[in-house]
Amino acid sequence: MQSRWDIGEPEPRTINKATEQLKSELLTLNMGPQHPATHGVLRIEIWTDSEVVAHAIPHLGYLHRCMEKHSENMDYRAVIPFVDRLDYLAAMNMEWNYVMAVEKMLGTEVPRRAELLRIMVAELQRIGSHLMAFGTYALDLGAFTPFLYAFDYREKILRLFEEVSGARLLYNYYWIGGLWNDWTDDQLDRVAHFCDEMEEEAKKYHELVSMNKIFVERTANVGVMSVQDCFDFGATGPVLRGAGFKWDLRKNKTYGLYNEFDFDIPIGTGEQGVPGDCWNRYIVRMKEVVESIKIIRQCLEKLEPGSVMAKVPKIIKLPKGEVYVRTECPRGELGMHLVAQEGEKSPYRLKVKSPCFTHVSMLPRVAPGQMIADFVASVGSIDIVLGEVDR
Amino acid sequence: MNNFNTPAPHYETGSVKDYFSGLYKGITTTAKGMWITFKYVWAVKPVSIEYPEVREVLPERSRMRLFNDVLNCISCTQCAMACPVDCIYIASEKLPEGAEIKKTSNGQPIRLKLTQFVIDEALCCYCGLCTTVCPTECLTHTHDYEFSQYTIDGMKYDYLAPDVIAWRDRIVK
Repeated sequence: MQSRWDIGEPEPRTINKATEQLKSELLTLNMGPQHPATHGVLRIEIWTDSEVVAHAIPHLGYLHRCMEKHSENMDYRAVIPFVDRLDYLAAMNMEWNYVMAVEKMLGTEVPRRAELLRIMVAELQRIGSHLMAFGTYALDLGAFTPFLYAFDYREKILRLFEEVSGARLLYNYYWIGGLWNDWTDDQLDRVAHFCDEMEEEAKKYHELVSMNKIFVERTANVGVMSVQDCFDFGATGPVLRGAGFKWDLRKNKTYGLYNEFDFDIPIGTGEQGVPGDCWNRYIVRMKEVVESIKIIRQCLEKLEPGSVMAKVPKIIKLPKGEVYVRTECPRGELGMHLVAQEGEKSPYRLKVKSPCFTHVSMLPRVAPGQMIADFVASVGSIDIVLGEVDR
Repeated sequence: MNNFNTPAPHYETGSVKDYFSGLYKGITTTAKGMWITFKYVWAVKPVSIEYPEVREVLPERSRMRLFNDVLNCISCTQCAMACPVDCIYIASEKLPEGAEIKKTSNGQPIRLKLTQFVIDEALCCYCGLCTTVCPTECLTHTHDYEFSQYTIDGMKYDYLAPDVIAWRDRIVK
């Protein structure tokens, strides 16, 4: 793949016989950073040849907040609000990864109830995140109504989270050693009720969007990222599974208590289009919603009363060493490399490996030869959150 | 030198049969979706809240504007140390000789005289870490969420100001 520095001047090209005598040049078009189809502050420089994209260069860094550097000056507990802000649509999953890294070095045993609640909350958050992906993807392709339906149901999840943690988006709920607050039985009943509702709702979404002929025409066979492409770039999550490769850290490199749970890993089968296109990436997310509901129900069955917080020292100091923890987040595989120094109150280094970053780097691969409207569909289908890309 | 002669995407036109079956599919699947949306006219209650007139009751744990009850504060500065964004500014001095040592509502002696307690709410990230470390539980998150200001300095709250102290009677939490 060429970087933007060795591209050189584009050669003039001829379009057809009638304009053969005319010199034509590529037109540079900036999509973003304020463009609604870029899902945040991503600027993509597109070199267009009439309506065909010849080359696309993502420009990052508009949401860079020095999160990694900041965390080097925070004590271990105070990093959690910063980790929240990585992927603000799936903040619970981000917290879980960081908290697990610290617990691994601290050697803390998390109580069973807390572990189960963590899985339940993470799966609820996954549903919320996928609903957002579903809504905004339909919005990208010109359908406004699904967005409202998705937000209606996402709101129910956020309301539950607000009651239990106190915030709607940036929770600071997973603490080192357990969870901040316990769920009451009444709230757990509402989760069970939500699962029933969501199952019906997911069917409705399939009828409304997934099998809609216009939607299928817009997304099937568009922006194909093959398994080989995914391996080359290091893509994970729904992008890799949409290409037809069965890989999910919850099953393959299990963490938490996921090994006790029974669920499937949905992959893109090419029901419409070919595996690896926008439609298959989309349908993997929608199927994952149903799988998450399965996990939540099993969680509710397994839950027993107990403590949700283990005993941890008041001032956390880790032994010298390093740890790399990776978890399956809604957008892919998130990894955190935590390096600790003896007697220090804050991390020596916290490196975040973000899934969206690798997915954005795949855009120049799929862009050439696409129409601009198809390119918008491709950007939407990888479901990026710029907070995580720029960190 | 690179060659940017990108071939235009080639779209299959297909047979006449495909054309009509596609047309049929397009109409039926869209009609299905339209029907789902149409059902919302009667069958589904509206979920949106007409905000300024109707207000949602916030959950008990909601984290909104901070309030410090300075009469209970022992100037321990634990909140300022726990704060990830350093938005709490505390200053205190020794009590004068022979002064009476007051007690907080949960019985802790106040050994220092609080001279400044300012929180920059514009900087605050509402994470709630400061409230969890407070030993006298004087620093709490209230349920006030409408406090926009014209200038950013207006977001700095001096909790020793008499008008702000007066909030403690109003705020239940």
